[in-house]
Amino acid sequence: MAEIKLNNLTKRWGDFIGVDDQSLHIKDREFLVLLGPSGCGKTTTMRMIAGLEEPTAGEIWIGDRMVNDDLPKDRDVAMVFQNYGLYPHMTIFDNIAYPLKVRGTDKSEIRPRVEKAAEQVELTEFLHRKPKALSGGQRQRVALARAIVRTPKVFLMDEPLSNLDAKLRVTMRAELKHLSRALQITTVYVTHDQIEAMTLADRVAVMKNGIIQQLGTPDDIYNNPANLFVAGFIGSPAMNLINGSVTDGMFVTTGGTRLVPVKSPDREKAILGVRADDMHVHEAGQGDIDVTIYAFENTGESTLLTVQWGKQRVIARGDRHLRKDQDDVVGISLNQDHLYLFDPETEDRIEM
Amino acid sequence: MTGKQKKQIFGAIQTALILIAMFIMLVPIIWIFLAAFKSHVDVYQLKLFFTPTLENFSVVFDDPYRLGEKLLNSTIVAFVTILFAIPIATLAAYSFSRFSMRGETLMLVTILATQFVPAVVIILPFFVMFRDIGLLDTRLGLILVNLAIVMPFAIWMIKGFIDGIPMDTEEAAMVDGSSRLQVIRNIVLPMAAPGLLTSAIFCFIIAWNEFLFALILTNKDAVTLPIGLGLFKGEEGDLWNLLSAAGIIIMAPMFVLALMIRKYFVQGMTMGAVR
Ligand SMILES: Nc1ncnc2c1ncn2[C@@H]1O[C@H](COP(=O)(O)OP(=O)(O)O)[C@@H](O)[C@H]1O
Ligand SMILES: [Mg+2]
Repeated sequence: MAEIKLNNLTKRWGDFIGVDDQSLHIKDREFLVLLGPSGCGKTTTMRMIAGLEEPTAGEIWIGDRMVNDDLPKDRDVAMVFQNYGLYPHMTIFDNIAYPLKVRGTDKSEIRPRVEKAAEQVELTEFLHRKPKALSGGQRQRVALARAIVRTPKVFLMDEPLSNLDAKLRVTMRAELKHLSRALQITTVYVTHDQIEAMTLADRVAVMKNGIIQQLGTPDDIYNNPANLFVAGFIGSPAMNLINGSVTDGMFVTTGGTRLVPVKSPDREKAILGVRADDMHVHEAGQGDIDVTIYAFENTGESTLLTVQWGKQRVIARGDRHLRKDQDDVVGISLNQDHLYLFDPETEDRIEM
Repeated sequence: MTGKQKKQIFGAIQTALILIAMFIMLVPIIWIFLAAFKSHVDVYQLKLFFTPTLENFSVVFDDPYRLGEKLLNSTIVAFVTILFAIPIATLAAYSFSRFSMRGETLMLVTILATQFVPAVVIILPFFVMFRDIGLLDTRLGLILVNLAIVMPFAIWMIKGFIDGIPMDTEEAAMVDGSSRLQVIRNIVLPMAAPGLLTSAIFCFIIAWNEFLFALILTNKDAVTLPIGLGLFKGEEGDLWNLLSAAGIIIMAPMFVLALMIRKYFVQGMTMGAVR
């Protein structure tokens, strides 16, 4: 068990910057999720920790050792690859046993440990099979068992659930969460799926273009997004972002509607952020503003109303019993305790 | 004409063409097969029915032909060639496949280019060189030449197979605690095994059939089977029955290997990873 420290880590290929001078301190036993859109440098960061990619600059510390010059095998990490990276010519037993065998574990110890790991991920009955004869979810569990069969200092997982179908992903997510709580090993988990990040993480690092945009607990990044990117990336549906200005303590949309009071000095340009859940739906005339429904969706557990608001469309979440139709007019009011204001130039959040 | 009739006619033409092609390819082989079991007098008659004899096969092993020695030479040369060629080519191919080196493409192309140099162009320098260092008419000399011939081929072929092994699998092994050599031994070799076997067989065939260099660089001790065929000339002309018997001895291993390749080649091609 160990903490991980990344000090001013940079990865460049020619002119292209994959990871740009990033520092990150991952605590002992922490489950840290690197979250960001595809191509933002998550995998690169993880591969540098594993020793599969050499940093252009910066230091990587695992525990009290700088591991920049250590081979992957000497870093004492276990990794779950996106495509699992199973050994197709070995049985499941041998796949799981490989890290033990290659590290010279006592022969008598190998079998019980493999069996225990297989049991933890419910693979016991498949131990004699080859990976080819397993389903995607089972292969995923083999990769997991191979990681947990040892007690490494660090777990690294690169989008381990992304190749599974939606239903299995939810089940495996819960299993992962359960397992990680039980094992208590420092984990770095890469994903582009914000729900995985929110549900699994102790802390989330949101990345974009090789730069960590915000580091915080799931609560933190959901409720206090540091900038427009984080606000738009976290949450489903994405946060509504409304263009306008602040005039006399009121947010005024570009269309000229005086919407809500905001605690901010006047500014010519501002973006108001409000989540679908903080937009309340009323009958026409009873909200702050009347709008026309562009699309009405019923997801079962709630309803989603995409409404036309001047030139923009925003999404509001309604009660699951609400029934409306396209082109109906409804009233909308905003929950004034959960509004966000952003500077469109810097994209940073404006405190208020 | 209906579509069905068209199809039938097309099918008939196809079958006919295949039969013609097969006939053209097989006739010499059938002729050799028949001749090998004929007596000298029967050879020049295109008889399909004759009293078969095994005598030719014993004559070729006797004085003065002594095909056994040539068979031994061919076997040793071909086996030792692949014994060295495949491991060396595998390591080279792995490096080309997995590491980026300065001038990598240039090296790969150069290796391939050596295959395009006509043998007759370099055979004289070889002769002079081997004469000076005493490698003329030795198996070692032939092995060295054959290595030079099969290596480029083996490197390219094996590189193709190693390219097909996903990087993920190797990286997983490295993170799991393997050194680079352990990765090669535990992961790459088993996964590339069908490919390695296919390459080995191809190289064996090339070395086994190699004619030109053996013709120029050997004359007595290290003569190989293909050169041995030239022995069967008598006062009465070419001894076709003996030539055919020797021909069958040369071809027999090829048939077996061709069958093996067929099986492993498909395996080698479809091998690949579990995703
Ligand atoms: N070996 C490489 N050479 C050049 N560019 C690379 C290499 N590996 C990754 N990249 C680029 O670096 C960026 C970050 O990649 P990656 O870390 O894999 O992103 P992701 O966040 O999707 O995991 C991508 O734009 C990718 O194209
Ligand atoms: Mg990635």
